[in-house]
Amino acid sequence: MDLDANRSLIATALGRIPAGDRTALQTVYRLTSAKLFGICLRILGERGEAEDVLQEVYVTVWRKAADFDASRASPMTWLIAIARNRSIDRLRASRQSRNMEPIDQASDIADSAARADSALEGAQEHARLHSCLEGLANHERAALRGAFFDGNTYEDLAARMKVPLGTMKSWIRRAMIKLKACLEQ
Amino acid sequence: MSETFDHKALPEDELLAAEYALGVLAGPDRIAAERRIASERAFAALVTEWEQRLAPWVAEIPEVIPEPQVWERIVAALPEQARRTQTQGGLWQNLAFWRGLTVATGVFAAACLAAVIYLGVLTQQQPLVATIEGDGHRHFVATVNVKRGTVAVVPAAFSADATRVPELWLIPADGKPRPVGLLRADRGVTLPLSGELAALITGKAVLAVSLEPPGGSPTGLPTGPVIGTGPLTSL
Repeated sequence: MDLDANRSLIATALGRIPAGDRTALQTVYRLTSAKLFGICLRILGERGEAEDVLQEVYVTVWRKAADFDASRASPMTWLIAIARNRSIDRLRASRQSRNMEPIDQASDIADSAARADSALEGAQEHARLHSCLEGLANHERAALRGAFFDGNTYEDLAARMKVPLGTMKSWIRRAMIKLKACLEQ
Repeated sequence: MSETFDHKALPEDELLAAEYALGVLAGPDRIAAERRIASERAFAALVTEWEQRLAPWVAEIPEVIPEPQVWERIVAALPEQARRTQTQGGLWQNLAFWRGLTVATGVFAAACLAAVIYLGVLTQQQPLVATIEGDGHRHFVATVNVKRGTVAVVPAAFSADATRVPELWLIPADGKPRPVGLLRADRGVTLPLSGELAALITGKAVLAVSLEPPGGSPTGLPTGPVIGTGPLTSL
């Protein structure tokens, strides 16, 4: 699907929701639910829980659509943030991240660009982020991945990578500073 | 580790926004960040910027098409005005009007029931739904999935109380309330439903919400006012 056309369809539909237009919500759902469900499923690891959270996500979209500010974020960014945050809330409520497998600091897999599915977010944006992530140290990138894709907390990540909590905080913060600087170049 | 790194290369707020957007915060730190997002525009803007930076990463997550029932559950959980648009077609387009409808009336309750029945005709094997109403207000909508052992509860026109929290109760045929969990005024929650509780859900089960001290009723029975009830309806 054409990216800009899709983005503008989602933004327009979001704009109609505050007026109580249920078909607008259905449009948003049709265009975005596969991506958002993939995100919930990735973080939660279980289909039933991911479905519950996906339901919460779209009810939240219905309630909060008036808060969406197209001048500040793309509609997908806004939706992705809701899906990730609701999934993380759910994960925190169960007190344990799904994925607690040890992470080998030295060998973070960095081949994911090839698997990228860029139907919704621009391939260019992803390529840029990916290249900046490649610029991080392996352990930094691995920690960010655990947080972003597995919903790990600082404590989870420290346990998975077998380092003290303070070290993990330092890694993440340092990585985020580097990431921002790289993306702004 | 002897990592010496000057975190002041970015302001503390910016780092906190980054941590929130990445999702590494937990417990009180996460709640504190959420409060600041809700109350401080500048901080919320920093979080949005970080979300924008990280969002393209989801390109690496494969899309998965959800079961068609999920959309039906979403429709069932929407505020009733939204469902009326489905049955009556565009009568409720006026934003100020439907937003102002925080006070639900019996008419709306009837319309809601009609919508529930209407949806029931459309779909078999749906979860159980209860609209929790009281004193003319429609407070919460609950969706019970017995098979999965969950109850998802979304606030409708519930207004937060500074000193008390809403607690959900299951009242089965024996009339004795069983505590299910605490609800939120600002967003939906999904609570686990034990097999023991799920077994009590029969044709006559009712969900109720009472206002309790923070942390919930200390006695295992409602101690504060019951603000609303709703029978569980099979869709």
